[in-house]
Amino acid sequence: MSKLIDDNYKLFIDGKWVDGKEGKTYKEYNPANGELLATCVDAGKEDVDMAVNAAWKAFETWKDVSPQERAKMLLKIADLIDENAEKLAMIETLDNGKPIRETSAIDVPLSSDHFRYFASAVRTEEGQAVMIDKDTMSIILREPIGVVGQIVPWNFPLLMAAWKLAPALAAGDCVVFKPSSETSLSVLELAKLMSDVLPPGVVNIITGKGSTAGNYMLEHEGFRKLAFTGSTEVGYTVAEAAAKKLIPATLELGGKSANIYFEDAPWEKAIEGLQIGILFNQGQVCCAGSRVFIQDTIYDKFLADAINAFEKVKVGLPWEKDTQMGSQINETQLKKILAYIEIGKKEGAKVATGGYRIMDNGLDKGYFIKPTILVDVDNKMRVAQEEIFGPVVCFIRFKDEDEVIKMANDSEYGLGGAVWTKDINRAFRVARAVETGRMWVNNYNNLPAHAPFGGYKKSGIGRETHKVILDHYTQMKNIFISLTENKTGLY
Amino acid sequence: MITKDTPVEEILQKYDVLEYFLENGVSPFSCAGAFPQSLGKLLEIKKVKDPDAFINGLNKLIEEKSQ
Repeated sequence: MSKLIDDNYKLFIDGKWVDGKEGKTYKEYNPANGELLATCVDAGKEDVDMAVNAAWKAFETWKDVSPQERAKMLLKIADLIDENAEKLAMIETLDNGKPIRETSAIDVPLSSDHFRYFASAVRTEEGQAVMIDKDTMSIILREPIGVVGQIVPWNFPLLMAAWKLAPALAAGDCVVFKPSSETSLSVLELAKLMSDVLPPGVVNIITGKGSTAGNYMLEHEGFRKLAFTGSTEVGYTVAEAAAKKLIPATLELGGKSANIYFEDAPWEKAIEGLQIGILFNQGQVCCAGSRVFIQDTIYDKFLADAINAFEKVKVGLPWEKDTQMGSQINETQLKKILAYIEIGKKEGAKVATGGYRIMDNGLDKGYFIKPTILVDVDNKMRVAQEEIFGPVVCFIRFKDEDEVIKMANDSEYGLGGAVWTKDINRAFRVARAVETGRMWVNNYNNLPAHAPFGGYKKSGIGRETHKVILDHYTQMKNIFISLTENKTGLY
Repeated sequence: MITKDTPVEEILQKYDVLEYFLENGVSPFSCAGAFPQSLGKLLEIKKVKDPDAFINGLNKLIEEKSQ
């Protein structure tokens, strides 16, 4: 299977594949079986310099490429992703550990669609003009911001690349992009596809560790904007780096989202939504429905059905088609999840199902966890307040709307969430009352382009997956015109 | 000897101390990978009230594990 993947990858700078100047590398492994997948470059300062310089050189001409031409290129990239969908899906599965059914049906097709969405969105940008008075016109144009630095996490490598690259390219910016050192391969393969479409230097891929290449990017004075998806802790450092340079940053950060079930929830769909909320991508989702609030009138039946559903989930080798849940990203993440389960137990929570590492049926070389439900959880407990980032859900009872809204909002985060009910008025009341950037009603973890996604509170700044992000990748030019030859008379 | 200036990534690579971090309310690893800066910076961001006590406890644990 790993023949899909090169043994060694270089950096993609100025349209060429180049070695790192410092000669440092790191290795990527398949988290499901420990197999070595590839060796990548741990980029140094000089490499980042080269990438930024190449991006600025490319920007001289890229900024004037018409929206029609940029859209055409984005559409071509989308087509190439689709033509290589099977390969990209398998690479993502091998590199990340997520099931092939998810990479085939979600990660890859949503990525190509993202390029198509922004190819369309940029053609609708029209600027504005207004007559301030009969002799004065104000014209507002959006102009590309320049060279942007983008850093993404390991949980959705290809899709996060699409979320970042498509709007930046559509807006007329040039990019230096860094994938996670855990999962760089699908992005490097995407770069191969893009190299046939984009002029040299428009997109440059820097691989490497956060502590080296990532920090060099944050320190670099050559960026006009930073964009980051990752944890809130690292988000602070990105925001600080941007502030020191007096440049903007968009941040999509952590979450501890409330998934709220009222007694009139559509039952079968609700139980499925619970699983989509916390088991999708092994729970390694920033907006995972990790706090589940259940009305006390249905709590016992809901718990029984949830346990039944969780125990039927097939955890297995991610490249097998019937696998529903794959491997966590690495041993550290596995240990972190198991440690949080222990913390929950010490706090008084009980494990209703799961709670352990799976080592049998050929899974002993990977990082697999049984889908886990914690009960007797109080919303103040650490397991209900901190991001576990695994297939571990906390069940919390509530009596009425007021109580559940208070508990849902008792969190430093505000990224996702859902309300399950057939009462449209209640759905709207709760969706409006919960302080979060995205509230799903009777669904969960749907993340297509065309709807804005981003956080309230410590879950971030800015919105992606919607044309509004084009505002973040452009700056406003106002042309203010006097249409009269008459003097003002002041001098 | 770990200090405020020790990179978190280096600590996670060298020592099996993840549980100590978590038990003391600090997550050193996330979807962004190992925290990419110093331990002191992470403790500052996490608003740890007594960073010196955290670091002393960490060094003590590492010493115990090495014996």
